[in-house]
Amino acid sequence: MESTILRTENFNAYFGTSHVLKDVNIAIERNNIIAIMGPSGCGKSTFIRSINRMHELTENATTKGNIFLDGNNIYEMNPTFLRRKIGMVFQTPNPFNTMSIYQNVIAGYTLNGYKLSKADKDVTVEESLVKAALWNEVKDNLHKKGTFLSGGQQQRLCIARSLAMKPEILLLDEPTSALDPISTSKIEELLLSLKDSYTIIIVTHNMQQAGRISDFTAFFYLGELTEWNETKIIFTNPKNIQTQNYITGRFG
Amino acid sequence: MTHLDAELSKLKATVIDMWNLVLRQLTDSREALEKFDKDLARHVLANEKRVNAYELKINMDCENILALFNPVANNLRFVLAVLRINYNLERVGDYIKTIMKIVNDSESLADPEDIDESQIRIMFETTQDMLTEVLEAFEEENAQPIRNIFAIDDKLDSVNRGANAIIAGLISRKPSEVINYLNLLSIIRRLERVGDQTKNIAEEIIFYIEAKVVRHMKTKNKLIE
Amino acid sequence: MKDPLRFRETRNTAFRIIVIFFTLVSIIPLIAVLVYIFRQGISVINWHFLTSLPKPVGEIGGGILNAIIGSTIIIVLATLIAVPLGVTAGIYFSENSRNKGNRSARSGVNIVSYFRELRKSWVYRAAHLGVDVLQGVPSIVIGILIYLWLVKPFGRFSALSGSVALAFMMLPSIIKSTEETLKLVPHAVKEAALALGVPYYKTILRVIIPAGMSGILNGILLGIARVSGETAPLLFTAFGNPFFSFSIFKPIASLPLIIFNYAISPYEDWHKLAWGASFILVSTVLILNILTKLVLKKWKVQY
Repeated sequence: MESTILRTENFNAYFGTSHVLKDVNIAIERNNIIAIMGPSGCGKSTFIRSINRMHELTENATTKGNIFLDGNNIYEMNPTFLRRKIGMVFQTPNPFNTMSIYQNVIAGYTLNGYKLSKADKDVTVEESLVKAALWNEVKDNLHKKGTFLSGGQQQRLCIARSLAMKPEILLLDEPTSALDPISTSKIEELLLSLKDSYTIIIVTHNMQQAGRISDFTAFFYLGELTEWNETKIIFTNPKNIQTQNYITGRFG
Repeated sequence: MTHLDAELSKLKATVIDMWNLVLRQLTDSREALEKFDKDLARHVLANEKRVNAYELKINMDCENILALFNPVANNLRFVLAVLRINYNLERVGDYIKTIMKIVNDSESLADPEDIDESQIRIMFETTQDMLTEVLEAFEEENAQPIRNIFAIDDKLDSVNRGANAIIAGLISRKPSEVINYLNLLSIIRRLERVGDQTKNIAEEIIFYIEAKVVRHMKTKNKLIE
Repeated sequence: MKDPLRFRETRNTAFRIIVIFFTLVSIIPLIAVLVYIFRQGISVINWHFLTSLPKPVGEIGGGILNAIIGSTIIIVLATLIAVPLGVTAGIYFSENSRNKGNRSARSGVNIVSYFRELRKSWVYRAAHLGVDVLQGVPSIVIGILIYLWLVKPFGRFSALSGSVALAFMMLPSIIKSTEETLKLVPHAVKEAALALGVPYYKTILRVIIPAGMSGILNGILLGIARVSGETAPLLFTAFGNPFFSFSIFKPIASLPLIIFNYAISPYEDWHKLAWGASFILVSTVLILNILTKLVLKKWKVQY
């Protein structure tokens, strides 16, 4: 299996006439945690939303250039099929409030009309919740609605929901910005443990978070990928002056 | 265990490895001196490169930990202490190198009784004990046993001060061996510095564990907790 | 600084008293109406009243069974017509307005793009305006319109035309509450479903609508409650029928019509029957509203 799981080729993204991402070229290896960083408005969220083609769901949003998943051009795939291979977790936890915890975890299957036997469903739910480090906290309440869960637990539920689809890549858009420090560190530990089986791409505003968990960091500035390197190197000796200014807090 | 804890454990293990290497160098250098074994001396000199390599690696690891994890409190003190201990160990390695160079470059050594009289053996033993004790304190993160290190180092200093007179005496008795005796004096000086560096390491460990800075204090004060 | 504080506290209490007073004032008419209808109508209610046909002029007694059945048929049919149309329209409005709001296309600000935006959304604007206008059209005007479109061409009054008229009147309520409820469903829920690879139409049907179900049902039940008592549109469409009728292509009796006919008649016992029918109508609407609240409590999804 090739080690490069995701590759972009001169990728550009637009909202109407506004050029939000400019000629992004990046190659991401399997089983790494990649942090996407940069000041507000630099295109980080647009970038990961382009990976699972959620970007085009916005009105007037267009792209140019290619992205390859495992060597296959994602623009030649069916987008709904693509989104089942790439999981996404958002900034504010968004479990389906009309469904119980159990139903939430397998929502990806039931909403898409996949028929699973009860035994398969049970196994999938348990495995996903275990992987998301939530099983012990909810195993006695699987059929209740998730409204009693704390923010951090809800976010882990969303992660479990994405993991249940057995994706190859997990995209996370500032998953811990809305959470307290303890929940944040639990989720960071969780992501570290998932590294062996998944490739994780996380947009984060929090530099310390990027330092703590990521192997590689991509730094975006005004839509351009200005630096892409091992996190160690970016944090000790960035090559680009903008990266250094951002990291040392001179602008945000 | 968090990611940071894992990294700190690795760092500690690397420091211990370097420390054990330096200890072995010290032991080997003593043997090389007492047996006037030039092969062993050259072996020690070759190993000095490894000591330097460790120093570079530990420096880089500390830099990475500080940059990536922003450690605070005891974790921060640990990294800062390691940075300085790292430097001290490298200095010890350097002094051993100098001693071995002296052995390697000499055509002969002084007689064993003269070596005894110079108290080099006692100095070697003392520094070996000091370094081992401080290593144990580092491994077990217990600052108690090393509080008497400072007194021991003071004794080392007084031996060093008395060395001038002893060596002068030896020279006046056997002027033909003046080079050998001067070499002994050089070795004594280096060993005293090894003791000093070990004392510095002990100060760093107290800093890490008790958050007290005892550097530059007179000895008596360090005994008070 | 004691005095200013006491002054403010007094003002606070005074304001609160005024608010409570006016609340009571606005509830009193409602209670008065209910109590009066209850007192007037309760004496007329008996098994016979509820289960027999109206008697011809001059004879004592008679019932309103055909009106009860007729009203039920008309309202059920009206609901069947209005709900699919209304909910779909509500979905359309909520989806299109939503996309304007969040994740807004940061398109360049210039004349060309402004006009392009206008042109694309003219359907939305026109339809939205239409719904607002429909809400304000008097019920009798709707009755006349349906008369012209459905009664005259076919040459007969019918329950179906009555239902269509009532459906027209239910539409604005259903559309508006569907739209508002769906707009309240956070965008994040939709994104979560889309990110799982659920196609757009399924996301709407199986995620958004269930999430907004309480609001949608609320709108439907409110619409039903409102049209149950409409008389004017039925005057020209369903027309009324003194006998039982189960065919939707024939005229049919209904409670408002029978109340109207009996109330303007000169006969004393017909007046009493009118009170009885009013009582039935009002209590049905009341029970419907209460049921709605109870049922929706269970369904409600809080965001």
